[in-house]
Amino acid sequence: MDQKKILIAGFLALLLVILVVIFFTSGGNEKIKQSRELTPPELKTQPEVPGEKKKIALFFLSEDDDLLHPEEKDIQAKASTEEEASEAIEELIKGSQSALVSPLPPETKLRQIFLTKEGMAYVDFSKEIQDKSLSGSEAEMAAVYSIVNSLTYNFKSIKKVLILVDGEEAETLAGHINLSKPFAPDYSLIAQE
Amino acid sequence: MKIETKVPFKIQREPFKNRFIKSVGWSRGSDSYIISIEAFRSDFVYGYFEVKAPFQLVIDIEAAEKPSSVIVEKEKKTEEKKPEPLPTTLTPPVPPENPPSAAITSPPPQPQKKAGPSAKGIKTIVIDAGHGGLETGAKGKFGALEKDITLGLALKLKALIERNMAFRVVLTRDKDVDVSLENRAALANNNKADLFISIHCNGSFRKKAHGSETFFLSLNATDEEARRLAYFENSTSALEGQIETDNQDEIKMILWDMAQTAYIKESSQLAEIIQKELNLLLGTTDRGIKQAPFKVLTGVASPAVLVEVAFISNPEEEQKLLDQEFQNNVVQAIYRGLLSFLKLYS
Repeated sequence: MDQKKILIAGFLALLLVILVVIFFTSGGNEKIKQSRELTPPELKTQPEVPGEKKKIALFFLSEDDDLLHPEEKDIQAKASTEEEASEAIEELIKGSQSALVSPLPPETKLRQIFLTKEGMAYVDFSKEIQDKSLSGSEAEMAAVYSIVNSLTYNFKSIKKVLILVDGEEAETLAGHINLSKPFAPDYSLIAQE
Repeated sequence: MKIETKVPFKIQREPFKNRFIKSVGWSRGSDSYIISIEAFRSDFVYGYFEVKAPFQLVIDIEAAEKPSSVIVEKEKKTEEKKPEPLPTTLTPPVPPENPPSAAITSPPPQPQKKAGPSAKGIKTIVIDAGHGGLETGAKGKFGALEKDITLGLALKLKALIERNMAFRVVLTRDKDVDVSLENRAALANNNKADLFISIHCNGSFRKKAHGSETFFLSLNATDEEARRLAYFENSTSALEGQIETDNQDEIKMILWDMAQTAYIKESSQLAEIIQKELNLLLGTTDRGIKQAPFKVLTGVASPAVLVEVAFISNPEEEQKLLDQEFQNNVVQAIYRGLLSFLKLYS
């Protein structure tokens, strides 16, 4: 009987040792490892949360006529109209993805867009919009109204646009069109598709 | 500027460098303070609130539609150096019901007859050669510069008019120099221009763009501007005596800013007539008469047009613009346009 008890006890002890060894060597470690690896993927999933896209129309020139032609573009939905409008203008500067022509110098940087409650958008560009601008009344009208129409057409809260250069009110882009007053949209300049 | 107060005062003024606010003035009365803010533009609204310890009156001004000068009578009760508390009333600013023009209107730089210039009345024609100096304007593929072509055309037109008509012709520039857009309008007004013709060559991103067009100013007139204009047209002489000399500069600027507004109808007629002649003589594509907010036209106090003779950015038209015979035809067309326009008013 005693021998049997010792045998069982020994067996249980052995079993315990084995279990402990198993727990600490393979299984336990694996679990800890796994849980550690899971943390970074959680970060990875952040960009995967599908940000809402917003479809906008940007206005470019065409070689065929002197009208502004819309080109659709997806932008990321943002918290404020200012941010979305900024992205729209940045895309406008980048230029068309089809054969259309951007009337804005590609070197131009958008400094800031500020929107008032009354619907006036102050759009502040870097000096390049003047320095690299193509002179000529048609070229300047195209530049101004690609900006104005691209903003008012896509963002209902923008009613008028005042173009600033380097934070200051500017006279003209290149000697013709008066920038010192805000522009209302002019959709008559848009081609009817 | 008439400021309604029972307190005798003298306003001290200091410039305030801002594209919106021109200067800030203040004055101390017996029981009140006056702050006068002079703005560059008239279309704004304002609001105010008080901050205690130390007492501050904060005035917010933002673009909208209101008269051009805000006068706030301000009481001061917590100023350290004032022992006696003063009555606490905040006098409202000049009521907006006042005709906005009352405060800021003056006679135009040069009074015009309502009916428009009669042939007899027209004595001075100002010709504006676009661009100049460092400001070259549009460039052609073969190196032609807009500033050179416009100057050549302006000189030719001056000679042609002086040869055939008894008018004084003034050029905004007669050589290759920089002249600011505002100075071009100022020069026209100072010379009591009866007609203003600006000559330009067009430039486009599109290589194929071609043709001739004549512009007059587009009015982005707000209701406010229209109202002010109507008022100033109707009561110019009545107001003449009421304006203090101190405010003349401000008044002039405001008026010149919208000077062209009063001549839009004549300007459109002049544009139409000149464009018709261009079509007959040049053989270029007729791009018609158009309106656009040209800076150079806004301050001109007479009928004024801007002729875009052809596209210098189009190599074919660039060659035409450099051609003497084409230039003669341009000048001839504008000259004939002037003659027809004068007949309208004789």
